[in-house]
Amino acid sequence: MTKLLDENVVQQIREVFGQMKDPVHILFFSQKENCDYCDDARQLLEEVTAISDKLELAVYDLQEDAETAAAYNVDKAPGIVIAAQNGDQIVDFGIRYAGIPSGHEFTSLIQDILLVSGRDSGLQPATREYLKGLGKPVLLQVFVTPT
Amino acid sequence: MVEAEMIEAMEFQQLSNKHGVSGVPQTTLNDGAAHVVGAVPEANLLAEIQRIMAG
Repeated sequence: MTKLLDENVVQQIREVFGQMKDPVHILFFSQKENCDYCDDARQLLEEVTAISDKLELAVYDLQEDAETAAAYNVDKAPGIVIAAQNGDQIVDFGIRYAGIPSGHEFTSLIQDILLVSGRDSGLQPATREYLKGLGKPVLLQVFVTPT
Repeated sequence: MVEAEMIEAMEFQQLSNKHGVSGVPQTTLNDGAAHVVGAVPEANLLAEIQRIMAG
């Protein structure tokens, strides 16, 4: 199979991943029908997660693994969850992608992996303080196009 | 309590149409409680969250 990432890009990512602190667990959800980008998204994640031994990829099917999908609030394919791996525990920080993270979003994917690996959102103290006291859930959906 | 989802607007057009996405990035809060088009500085996003929580 042709690689999606060329050797040059892999080398750059390897350098950036040198900053990774703790392990990151990526969950990938595909579906068999009506998913034009599932195969590409899966291959992309396989290539990215192969670059660092601090990265683990688990592949699921949205229908067959409906329980896991529901547990992570994933309802779209390709769906990606970037979670923390603490020992044998997976810790969900609520970070998801719906659609293939290509183009600009590939940079976001790499940045999110680094954020989760550092276990630090980078948010201001005042923001953290407010969010800690939230009484109701907040869902942020960021619509993007991949160019 | 906080979830963030990146959505590829072309691939999920129904959802984009539902939230009236015409320019990207667009950040939609709590299924349409608020929308912000363009880059959102942290302070602005916090203000939007506080606004919808109060409403």
